[in-house]
Parts: sequence; C-alpha cells; structure tokens
Amino acid sequence: MKLLLAPAVVVLAVFAAALAALFRWSLLEFIPGSLQTGGLTLANFRGVLAPQYLDAVWDTVVLSALTTALTLAGAYPVAYALARTPSRRVRSTLLVLTIAPFFTGAIVRTYAWVLVLGNTVLTWPVPMLFTERGVLVGLVHFSMPTMILILAAALSHIDPVYERAAASLGARPARVFWRVTLPLSMPGIVSGSLIVFAWTLSAFPTPEMLGGGKVKMIANVVRDLGLDSFNWPGAAAFAMLALALTLALLAGLGRLAGGRAA
Amino acid sequence: MRPRLVVALIALLTVCLPISEARAQNALVVSIWGGNWKNTVESVIGKAFTAKTGIPVEYEVGGTIDRLAKARVAKGSPLVDLNFTTTHVARLYMSDGLYAKLDMAKIPNAKEIAREAIRSDYHLGTWAYVYTVVYRPDLVKEQITKWSDLWKPSLKGKIALPDFDPSHIITIAALMEGGNEINWQKGEARLKQLKDSVAAFYSTDAQSQDLMKTGQAPVQVMLSVNAYHLQEQGISVKVVQPTDYPGIVGIDTVAVMAGTKKADAAHQFINVALSKEVQAELVKALRAGPVNLGTAVPAGLKGQPGIFLTAAEWKERGYIMNDEARGKTLPAWREWFTANIVKK
Repeated sequence: MKLLLAPAVVVLAVFAAALAALFRWSLLEFIPGSLQTGGLTLANFRGVLAPQYLDAVWDTVVLSALTTALTLAGAYPVAYALARTPSRRVRSTLLVLTIAPFFTGAIVRTYAWVLVLGNTVLTWPVPMLFTERGVLVGLVHFSMPTMILILAAALSHIDPVYERAAASLGARPARVFWRVTLPLSMPGIVSGSLIVFAWTLSAFPTPEMLGGGKVKMIANVVRDLGLDSFNWPGAAAFAMLALALTLALLAGLGRLAGGRAA
Repeated sequence: MRPRLVVALIALLTVCLPISEARAQNALVVSIWGGNWKNTVESVIGKAFTAKTGIPVEYEVGGTIDRLAKARVAKGSPLVDLNFTTTHVARLYMSDGLYAKLDMAKIPNAKEIAREAIRSDYHLGTWAYVYTVVYRPDLVKEQITKWSDLWKPSLKGKIALPDFDPSHIITIAALMEGGNEINWQKGEARLKQLKDSVAAFYSTDAQSQDLMKTGQAPVQVMLSVNAYHLQEQGISVKVVQPTDYPGIVGIDTVAVMAGTKKADAAHQFINVALSKEVQAELVKALRAGPVNLGTAVPAGLKGQPGIFLTAAEWKERGYIMNDEARGKTLPAWREWFTANIVKK
C-alpha cells in the first residue's frame, strides 16, 4: 500500500521544492537593471503591499465571488434541465452545448468575446470591453460548463421520489424546489462554487485579453512583475502572498460551506 | 509480442538519439523569438551563413524572458551559441556574465555599421525600428502629425499604449517638459493628462495589432515594424513621422554566449548578419531599418519612420534611450505607470 503512494509522494516533493524555491526568491533583494540578486530581505513583501497591488488582490476576490455567484445562478437551471428532462434528445443537445466550449481553447473563446464585447458586432449601451463588466462576462462563460456538469451530477443523484412526496403533500413546485431540491443539491453547489472560486482566483487569459490592461487580477500582476519589470523577487513575493490568501479564503469558505451543507 | 515491440522501440530510440545529438553538436544554435523573427533570421542570415561556411544552424525559439531564464540556468555551458534580444534586455544578460566579449577583428563588417548600433563590447545591433504614433485614418478623421496630438481631447478613449514597457511614452512626456529618460519625473503631470484618452493597454505585439485591426484602439504608440506588417495585410494605418519629437528607437541585438565552444562560427554568423547584402534582405523581410550604413533599401521604405540610412538620420530622426538607465529604471517606470495611468 505504501509503495502505491510513492508516485504521489514524489510529485508532492517536486511541488514542495518548487514552492520552496519560489519562497527563497521572494526573500532575495531585487537589484534593478540586473539579474543578480542581493542578500536576504523582507523589502519585496513590503513592496507588494503597495495600494496598487492590494487593489489587484481586492479586485480578484470581488471578481471571483461575483463570477461564482453568477455562474451558479446561470448554471443551475441548465443543470436542472439536463438532469431532469425526460427527453433523450434534449439531454443530448444540452450536454453537447455544455461541453462544446471545452473543445475550443481558452484563448479562442476569449478572443471571440473581444469581438462580441467590443462595438464591432453589437453596440452596447455601456462600455463592456476593457472593463470589469466585460471580464466578468468572460469569467462566467469560462466557468459555466464545469459548474453545469457538477450541478447536474449532484441533481441526478437526488431521488425524484422526495419531490413527488412533497408535491403529494400539497407543496407547490416553487416550495418543492426551495425546501427539497435545493437543499439536497447543496453538496453540488458547494463543490462547484469552491472549484469556480478557486480557479477564478488564478484567472489569467480572460482578464489579460478582456481587461485591456486596465483590469488586473493576481496572475496578471505576477506576470507583469516577473516578465515586464524583470523583478523576479517581487513577483515571487506577490505570488507567495496570493497563495497564502487563496489558501486562507478556500479554508474559510470550505469551513463555512461545510457547516451549511451539514 | 508487446514486450518485443517495447524493446524494439527502445532500441530505435537509443540508436536515433545519438544521431540527433551529433547533428546538434555540429550546428550553430541561435536563440531568437518565434514567428516572423525566427523565420526571417533563418531564411536570410542562417541560409547565407550556411552557404558560406557549410555549418548548419539550429534555432531555439522563445519569449524574451523564457530565453533569458534558460540562459541563466545554463550559465557557463550555454545551450545556445548566439542570442538575439532587445538592447536593454541584453544588459540583463551582461549583468550576469552571460555574454562573451566580442572579438571585433573577426567581425570586419562591424566597421560599416552605424555608431549607434555598437551597443557595447558584448552586443551589436542587427536592425532598428521606432516606437511612434500609428493610427487608422478611416476611424480618426483628423490628421495626427506630432506626439503632442495624442493629448487632443478628440482622441479621448481611442488610444492604446504598451504597458509592458511604458518607457517610450514616459520619455516623450519628459522630453516635452524639457527632461529626458534620466529625469523622467518632469513629464509626470503631462502624462497624467493622457490617462482618460487611453482605451486599452497592450502587453504583446499581437494584442496591439488586434486592437488596431478591430478598431478598439485606432491610435497607438506602436512598433513601426508592426505597423508596416498591418499595411501589408491591407489594413490602412498611417505611421507618423512626428514633427515635434523623434520616434523612440528600438534596436535588436545579437551577442555570443559566454562559454560557447563555437565562438569562431558565432562571430562569422554576426559578420554575415551585418553584411550589406544580408542587411538589404532583412530590411525587405522585416521592414526594419538596417544598421549597415551602405545598405540598399527599397524606394518605398526610404525616409520612413525607423529606417535610418545615414549617420545623420540615426542622429536626427530617432531618439535612443540610454540602455543602462532604461534597464535600471524600467521597474520604477512600470510601477509609477501602473499606479498613475493604468489604475482606474
């Protein structure tokens, strides 16, 4: 049994070594205009606590929370239909439409949104491209298929007999949904939301392309620091900070959701 | 049957690997960006070099920083023999001792190149371009002729700037206020006035060209070679030769990696790259300016932004930033730019 765990341990060790290297970089002094680094310092962490970087962290958390909520709201009806429709054809069509985005790359999908959210295809009443609104649309679209599949799996595990029992006792459809279906689908809601929230925290191509450089999320700032400013220690410090925040948020949300689900 | 197949495959790989390694050992390995850059260097310089010396050339392709990171990891026993990169990034290679000092006696063609192209004892310019104002006359009705036109209220919400390297617009704003890239703070207030005019910031050349093609940002501070590329694709863009301040010159450079065992061949490659004939082909392919002052240039490109043919044109029609100051100040510029211009 222990031998079977060996590959996982090796993979973990490699990741741990990479993280340790990143942490070491975050503590080295950045010398502008040089690849050489100075001695140990905490200045990189002080540097990335500047308002512009904290704003990027805040924007990331807000966008992730909004993306999760909107994705959940948009995905639930589709997942419900997917799980409950008696028609095989409707189910197949919904399934194909849901998984179709997986077959196009993230860049291609996002580039399509650049065209749609700009004023070349439609004229929007408010600016969409290069705004948080536009980035939010892209993030929700990116997350929808995964959320739909997770929710559909959870909904298909609910025995319809509970809903029929509630209905036979006089509950109207809305009451059946709120008191029976929704609570029973909570495990799917929690796991889907956690997954969408976690990966939106590390979103990169969507804000990069739809934000037009004006909307910066954590991954974009790490890239900017490392690849554009050549400030590898600063990028490492910001990445460490972001990692700590992500783990704390996910732990907090997990505990909260665990309590609610129970 | 299956184990036999596996054994056969392993045997085949064992036989084939040394062959590919042997080929790599003979070849000169050049590190360069992908796409048009690699294709042009391969078809123009590489071919001419192989025809002259019989030495094959292989290419390692990657982004500016990927290649820098790889070079750093392989310090002392480089994976490549020659490296192409921008002149200020070359300073980072030099700061870490990744470049070998050039033996100019082995590069006789270097005597013919512009003084500005001799960037240091370690790296030489191979072609040039400018960052200048580029716009789409079909979407912007008024004429743009100067850098200061960017500040016109009518261009509000139409401009795109590079955010990966704001040094060009920062330097222009400083020049407009009597400063330069060293005392760039003089242009801060002027630059802040430009904030509302910016529709988008771009991080890559591809994004810049997309913004221009889709009309999302029909006025840009843009690389001249990219603008000419758009023109070739049939997109009507005008490359401005600013009348108030010159375009900001960019120079791509080549250098020999420290520790290479093929230093002689690497020097020969550079010499071929700097010859008049090869330079003329590079100009045609890249639409970039030659560094060899005797290069023949197509009539349509003469006098265009980024194409400098004489020592006087190099001096008067382009502004060359101090590499060292640029390399050292870039992080501070980016920080200030992000906080004051990019931030909502």
